[in-house]
Amino acid sequence: MSEETFKSVKDLPSTRLLCGGTPMCSGCGALEALHEIYDILGKKTVFVNAAGCMTLLSIYPFTPFRGSWLYTAMASAPAGAQGVRDALDILIEKKQMPPEDDLQVVVLTGDGAAYGMGLSSTSAAIDRELDFLYICYDNEGYGNTGQQFSAATPHAAKTATSKGPRGYPGYKKDLFSIWAAHKPPYVATVVGSEPLDLAKKIEKASELKGPRLIIAFSPCPTGWGFDPKLSVEIGKLAVKSGVWPLKEYIDGKVIHTKIPRKRVPVEEYLKVQGRFSHLFSPKRNEELISEIQARVDAYWKEVEG
Amino acid sequence: MYRIRFHGRGGQGMKTASRILGTAFFLEGFEVQDAPRYGAERRGAPIFAYVRASKEAINERGIIKEPGLVIVADDTLVAMPAAGVLQGVTEDTVILIVSVIEAELWKDRLNFPGRVLTVIPPGEGQSHERAFTGGAIAGAAARLTGAVSKASLEEAIREELIPLGTKVVEENLEDALSVYEFMAEHEGCVAPGTAIAVEGFTPPNWVELPFEDARLSSPAIHAEATSEQIKTGLWRTVRPVIDYELCNRCSWLCSTFCPESAISVNEDGFPEIDYEHCKGCMICMTQCPPHAISGVLEREAKGGEDNET
Amino acid sequence: MKRRLLTGNGAAAWGARLANVDYVPAFPITPQTEIIETLGSWIDSKEMAGRMVTLESEHSMVTAAGAAAATGVRVFTATSSQGLLYAMEMLYTVAGWRAPFVMVNVSRGLSAPITLEPDHNDILAARDSGFLQIHAATCQEVLDSVLMAYRLSEDARVRLPVIVNLDGFYLSFTREPVEVPKEDKVLSFLPPFDPENIRFRASTPISQAVAVLGGGPYSYFRYETHLAALNALSVFDEISVEFGRFFGRSFDAVEAYRTEDAEFVFVMMGSFATKAKEATDRLREAGWLVGLVRPKLFRPFPKEHFLKLLKGKKGIAVIDQNISMGKGGVLYTELASVLYGSLDDGPVMASFIGGLGGRDISSEEFFEIAKVIRRAAEEGKAPPPRLLYTEEELREMRKLQVIANAERNQAGKRVGKKDE
Repeated sequence: MSEETFKSVKDLPSTRLLCGGTPMCSGCGALEALHEIYDILGKKTVFVNAAGCMTLLSIYPFTPFRGSWLYTAMASAPAGAQGVRDALDILIEKKQMPPEDDLQVVVLTGDGAAYGMGLSSTSAAIDRELDFLYICYDNEGYGNTGQQFSAATPHAAKTATSKGPRGYPGYKKDLFSIWAAHKPPYVATVVGSEPLDLAKKIEKASELKGPRLIIAFSPCPTGWGFDPKLSVEIGKLAVKSGVWPLKEYIDGKVIHTKIPRKRVPVEEYLKVQGRFSHLFSPKRNEELISEIQARVDAYWKEVEG
Repeated sequence: MYRIRFHGRGGQGMKTASRILGTAFFLEGFEVQDAPRYGAERRGAPIFAYVRASKEAINERGIIKEPGLVIVADDTLVAMPAAGVLQGVTEDTVILIVSVIEAELWKDRLNFPGRVLTVIPPGEGQSHERAFTGGAIAGAAARLTGAVSKASLEEAIREELIPLGTKVVEENLEDALSVYEFMAEHEGCVAPGTAIAVEGFTPPNWVELPFEDARLSSPAIHAEATSEQIKTGLWRTVRPVIDYELCNRCSWLCSTFCPESAISVNEDGFPEIDYEHCKGCMICMTQCPPHAISGVLEREAKGGEDNET
Repeated sequence: MKRRLLTGNGAAAWGARLANVDYVPAFPITPQTEIIETLGSWIDSKEMAGRMVTLESEHSMVTAAGAAAATGVRVFTATSSQGLLYAMEMLYTVAGWRAPFVMVNVSRGLSAPITLEPDHNDILAARDSGFLQIHAATCQEVLDSVLMAYRLSEDARVRLPVIVNLDGFYLSFTREPVEVPKEDKVLSFLPPFDPENIRFRASTPISQAVAVLGGGPYSYFRYETHLAALNALSVFDEISVEFGRFFGRSFDAVEAYRTEDAEFVFVMMGSFATKAKEATDRLREAGWLVGLVRPKLFRPFPKEHFLKLLKGKKGIAVIDQNISMGKGGVLYTELASVLYGSLDDGPVMASFIGGLGGRDISSEEFFEIAKVIRRAAEEGKAPPPRLLYTEEELREMRKLQVIANAERNQAGKRVGKKDE
């Protein structure tokens, strides 16, 4: 199965199906994950999109897709996927469309929609066992409007609406667990900077039926405040520090696909981002840094037993 | 009325420049409008901002069609039609380009009858990060109109930039005042423009929009990969260059990591960069295992190209 | 042809069944629920082909409806009041996609205060959305409207979604004899949906509903939608002639009842208009030259029909079962904009607001309205707008306020003495 196709980075496709010319920011971690994903899914797909940065992928008359696309609204992309999926099934059933014209239905939303406004429509789509793939590009804030905090924003991050000395007071919502609690066939976290792990998961997901949900951690140079060239490095640091666990939920179990043996201190990850700069200057905020570290440690302690 | 347009790239401080100049005019007792113009484009993409200032109430709105002064913060934008730098310029327009290339050369290149000025990027040859600041550009505009005093310029910079910290204020003040001095010989060369006259006006070519059925008139693209026509390579300020001697044809990490799908792998297993679409994020440079990719300033890379042709 | 007793909801469900709909995204809401329950039971018992899916909200329901239509199947859905408003973002959105399908709205007054009975503020909130609107006055018309709506919606000259509106309770739960046409006849009147090039297929990639930058492209797409909606006027007339040929009953864009020699005309929409029809007959018997004009088509607005029917009249009483806060009756306003400058020596117009939240309108009230408009025509002066509300109703309201302990003293001071 999937493990066989992508054994090493050498096996990754280099088709580069998603073409350039989009208005996404230079160094966009979400676009990076998307193009890696698209190479695996292929062009027999219809992306059903919710309001977010990626809405601007297709601006009349320009589209980077070699397959299809439908923009819906912020809250209801999974419902749009429902309509498309059902219609395709009906057409095939009625022999009004040859099966080879079928498309894989892929929802594409940011964390604003996934963690918040669209959570109810996603939950319901899982309830209905809709056969679809959901990709959330998680850049931990409302990126398209200038990075205000969302339910995906991590504790203490400075955003356009949490500018105080302690940053965002809340904690990043555990969407993975919320999704997994619905017991769908597949849930996984990925990041573009770990392309092999990503490829294996996307392939596994596309071989399954029913609701399959992916959260793609998406370093955002503009919203997080770092040089675009560090985009991949920050993704890697998120994994190495244990801030972004790579895992999957399948057959009722959560499996960590990459356990960082010796975790890099979270501050290595934090200090390269403008949104956490207030933790280091003008004065080091030991309390907040320790709190963030302690939460990461507690998570992994539980994982490692 | 003064009508001033600032062209730059997302992230270069055009909005800041327009706000500083707007505030400075306001402090001088002018009625003012200042605004940035956003598209879908992001950091590195061409954007513009504008300022109107008049002693009378301002009833014009929106984009400035006939600017009295155009300031280009990044000379790579001049040749880019999408940036619209030359839109609506007349022989009465003054064009100021932040560039190391001489004004006369620009005047020739543009075949422009009006006045072209240049100013060397502040901090040129020093810290790269400080290459462009809103303050410097606002300072240039202030002096060229001759309607803004040094004191108002300083006050405006403080007012607009204080939330960004004293370091930013000081840097911008330094740059702004140095450019303000540098422009002294051209003081007042930008004259206030007049309003569009009723007499002899060009009537709009209104049409009766014909009905077209949804096959044509729905907001749908019946094609694939059309965004290829958008040359996002124009956003780039630094160009990644592959040294094929050093490239070990790894597993094409550069190609996998490139968010723009701008690096393909050729038949021999070497990566090739599509400069028409590469936005210059330089992820490839930082991720290349044998360090075979280096960054070259676009300006210098372009110069090299010119010499070759 | 056989007639059978059907509720308005039942007639709507029959319309969908006869239209051979492929897909029914649904969400329950009073007083519409019977429609989806009926369709659901037919689909479950295989009496009807098609697939039904219950979404978690009307917003999602309309998204799914639009997405399925944009993929190329025939879609039916239904909602009411709060549901229609909850879906409002998507109404504008899917109309902009040019996704053709039919949605039934069972009119019900809007919150707050929340209520169950009908008026037209829900449907009129969708006025500018790009959905076309057909308003039914009888259960027969509900069924006929659904069939007409599919023809109109899917016509290449239109290609817009259509709402068929019926009043909650007064039609939704009321049984009337309805002639249910034969399936084969409906099939010839309404051939299968052809999505043409707007559909999702792997072999023909398409990006639908993409963003635009700038006012130029935006104006183009929006105005084309408007032109398509305007096209629906002549297309409707054309389909209506065909409808008459197929089913032996007419379905005009505007119903004109005893208007030819009328001097005074009631103008109303929806099921309450049959009350005006009844009053018209009684007034005629008493020697009054009155008539009734009732638009079935509200979007596009049948301007020419109105001008033709209202030419030479002395007075027009528009009775709106809705209210635009701070302005008044919506139909009155729209009609005034049509008549202004169009008719020489135009008729006097008067505005009446009645039937809000299902409040009944009595025959006597119609008689009085006729009197008011006649007097206005004689004096050449339009009266101020009038809410149909009686002293008895206010007295009852006072009793409720006393129980609610609402500003007891204030209420007493203002009207209490007079009432007691």
